[in-house]
Amino acid sequence: MTPPRAAYRLLGRVLRHDPAGPAILGDLHEDFTRILTARGPGAAHRWYWREALLLSGGRWVRALLRLPSRGPSLDGFFGVRGLGQDGVQALRAVRRAPGFSLFTALVIGLGVGAATGVYSVLKPLFFAPLPFREPETLAWIAYQDVPEGVASLSHLTSRSGNLRDFRERTRSFEGLTGYNAFSEQGAFTLSGVGEPERLVGFAVAHDFLQVLGVQPIHGRGFTQEEGTWGGPPAVILTYGFWRQRFAGDPTLVGRSVVLNDVPRTVAGVLPPSFDFASVFTPGTRVDFLHPYPVSEETDRHGNEVVILGRMKPGVTPAIAQADLDAVLAGLQEEQPDRWGLSAHLTPMKDHLAGPFRPAFFLLLGAAATLVLIVCVNVSNLLLARSPRRVREMAVRKTLGASRGRIARQMVLESLVVSLGGAVVGGGLARLATRAVTGAVGVRVPLLSQGRMDAPALLVATAVAVVTGVVVSLAPALRVAEGGEAAVLRESGRGTSAGRGARRLREGLVVAQVTLACVLLVVGGLLVRSFRAVLELDLGFDPAGAVAWQLNPARSFETDAEKGAFFEGIAERVAQIPGVERVGLIDALPLGRTRSWGFQIPGVQQDNGRPIGYFPHLVDPGYLEAMGIPMVAGRNLTEDDMGEGPLAILINETGAERAFPGGSAVGRSLDFGWRGLGEIVGVVKDARHVSPEMGAGVEIYLPLARGDDFRTLDMVVRSSLPTSHVAAAVAAALQEADPTMPAREYWSVESTVDRALSARRFTLGILTAYGAAALLLAGLGIYGVLAQSVAERTPEIGIRIALGASAAKVAGGVLGRTLLLAGLGIGAGALLSVWSTRLVATLLFGVRPTDPLTFVGMALILLAVAAVAGLLPATRAARIRGTRALQAE
Amino acid sequence: MNKLGEFELLVLLSILRQKKDAYANRVREDLDRNAGRRVSRGALYRTLDRLTEKGFLEWELEPSETPERGGHPMRRLRVTEDGVGAVRQARDVLVPFFNGVSTLLDEA
Repeated sequence: MTPPRAAYRLLGRVLRHDPAGPAILGDLHEDFTRILTARGPGAAHRWYWREALLLSGGRWVRALLRLPSRGPSLDGFFGVRGLGQDGVQALRAVRRAPGFSLFTALVIGLGVGAATGVYSVLKPLFFAPLPFREPETLAWIAYQDVPEGVASLSHLTSRSGNLRDFRERTRSFEGLTGYNAFSEQGAFTLSGVGEPERLVGFAVAHDFLQVLGVQPIHGRGFTQEEGTWGGPPAVILTYGFWRQRFAGDPTLVGRSVVLNDVPRTVAGVLPPSFDFASVFTPGTRVDFLHPYPVSEETDRHGNEVVILGRMKPGVTPAIAQADLDAVLAGLQEEQPDRWGLSAHLTPMKDHLAGPFRPAFFLLLGAAATLVLIVCVNVSNLLLARSPRRVREMAVRKTLGASRGRIARQMVLESLVVSLGGAVVGGGLARLATRAVTGAVGVRVPLLSQGRMDAPALLVATAVAVVTGVVVSLAPALRVAEGGEAAVLRESGRGTSAGRGARRLREGLVVAQVTLACVLLVVGGLLVRSFRAVLELDLGFDPAGAVAWQLNPARSFETDAEKGAFFEGIAERVAQIPGVERVGLIDALPLGRTRSWGFQIPGVQQDNGRPIGYFPHLVDPGYLEAMGIPMVAGRNLTEDDMGEGPLAILINETGAERAFPGGSAVGRSLDFGWRGLGEIVGVVKDARHVSPEMGAGVEIYLPLARGDDFRTLDMVVRSSLPTSHVAAAVAAALQEADPTMPAREYWSVESTVDRALSARRFTLGILTAYGAAALLLAGLGIYGVLAQSVAERTPEIGIRIALGASAAKVAGGVLGRTLLLAGLGIGAGALLSVWSTRLVATLLFGVRPTDPLTFVGMALILLAVAAVAGLLPATRAARIRGTRALQAE
Repeated sequence: MNKLGEFELLVLLSILRQKKDAYANRVREDLDRNAGRRVSRGALYRTLDRLTEKGFLEWELEPSETPERGGHPMRRLRVTEDGVGAVRQARDVLVPFFNGVSTLLDEA
């Protein structure tokens, strides 16, 4: 009776390098025989298996961890003996192979740069606290809970009366404050210092800075008096504007600046850490803050205040929400007619970062994948070099170095190189961070605050160190393991990596292609989504349309005077040669949004509430200037602009919502105090809120009949280049009102670009990663095949000498290339099916399993693989039999 | 000179007790039976390796044709002079320390 064969073999393998191994097998056999006679074969077999597993398991674990036999030892991997010496050795080894070391450092740098770049760009929004005192107690109190993107500003804002009542009645908040989200509407003109300049000021409640816990670097916050209706005019400048326009002059505080012909005291300057625009209105600029009166007067404007609250210590969002609900219920009971009583609280961070979380995880995952690809790639490079190193290390081993010491030196060498990679990666991340944070008009909060700072450097170093250790493990184990005698005997001849080594390296290439495939598929889907968005019918035609904001500093006695002023400008501009169409609107598409309500006379709505709509105040020229077609009825005319019955246009969605199945033209809508309006025409849907989002109910009102605007957007369509028209338009504007800023204009296409900026941002980073992954995969394939051809030169030489054709040899190499790539693509496609589901929320107009993307990416990878395999294949085909054998 | 752990001391003593017949299985049996120490095979082999590294132990493989060992050789263990010295030193330290506490230990 002999011990179980498999267990015996296992032990033989584990003990093959142990000189006492045969004796240990004998000891076990002896006990096995004893147990066999005493307790029978079953018990003996079980016993043998247990002993074999325990013994081999223990040895495997120890070998893996390179644990010393007992306690801390001076020698071996974790020992301190010779650490300095090994370090010097490592530096020397790096210097001996400068090209290889540099290349490896660059590859590692790519991974480090990707990870660090994403970290430093997204840190302000995701990894760092918001730039306020105790930011976790801050909450955003929206009007309604609607998904981001679907919400118009009217959904996110509340009436200022609500803010006033919440302040008085809630008990969960230390402070409640707010700002006017429609502040962009009331643009300002700075005069008295150089040429008139259009400025953007945001109106904030007087205690805004105090509640957020922001301390001005110069001066003070607003006083309560300044925050009342008709209070003393004051402004607080943003840091950037103060530096750029007033050269950071600290004596400005206390003096006054003239805005819209009104002198206003400069109360203070915001600190650089608090960039109002980057937190609250990303993608735009804000030059100063001015006081927003929380009063009866502003309450009449409707929903316009973003309410922010600081919860008391110990108060959870749920408690605060319950508190708000109770207050709202009480108010509704006291004032049954009051509208707009609604509040939905979210922690501030969730509100700001929430919509970007899917993209954030995608970028993080992509960076991690790229780092993995880099690890596999560098591992492979090191393995390719390991046969050479095996010989060097065998010499050291015969001179007495332990396996631990040798493995450690390999790891140290790799660390030296990867720290070089950290430097490269840090540089790359710095460049990328600068480029991204400097980009204007990207609607991602706090993006401009991204910095390559000390924590980011730490991340770079950590990624590099981990990469360095991981990539050196396989080669270190290989090199440390090799039997020295056999290696030294072979050392005179060209070493050939064994079959196992080649398999391992080919496996790594397959892994690389797999990972690259996943990155490419995800990137491809995003590209397709982006194209789908670009190809959307926006409902208007951005090409060739240029816009100016009309922002007169003067005030008007009557609405008619105001209307005439703006119409006069439009007429003047229409006279300019080259100008085809001119139109006016209160807010161009993809800009700010608001929501009003109407009732249908004689129809009772289910919930008794008015139907919400998105109002546009336009002149008769607007629809044609924007390229928005009519569907039914007629356009507004000059006659509709004056007194008389109110004529309106409605969009298709609105017509269907108000009069399902019937014709809307000729029907009337009840606008409350604005009176009844007759629908004279139906207009094609235009995407006003976001390019991805369909239109809601939208109504076009004659602008001369609307009182609710101070500035207008003028859109000019021309066949001539913008620069030709711009000067003439500016002159016309100056003529109408010399104090009106006229030099600033923008193309409607740039507005569309800005609306797509967050998508473009994610896509840009991912494209860069995909390109890097593709490059690395190509390099990996090339490296493995080139070395394989070099190793097999004698063999190929013999085959050619025996009559194999060059084409067949080259075909063999190429076939191998495509096999490896094919295996990687297959595995990558499977992995992609799983991983693309995770990014489904970021896709638009394309399914996560879009076959075109999968096939396209597979083809790209195959093409890259073929190119990478071509050079080794030609080299193999050129091998001449005799010469190969001579070399041997 | 390297210090000797308690278990290492026991192993060396066991080998010395068995004179020329010492090998791993017998040491294990001796420790189990006479010292009340059940020790795993792996732990014993590691201790033997460690004692060898410290220079306290020598061994050689002795061919064995017996069917009990399946034809595998036997590892004959021998304590080196350094090893004997280490055991002696341990005794010289321990025995005086036991003097005078024997009565105390017995009473307790």
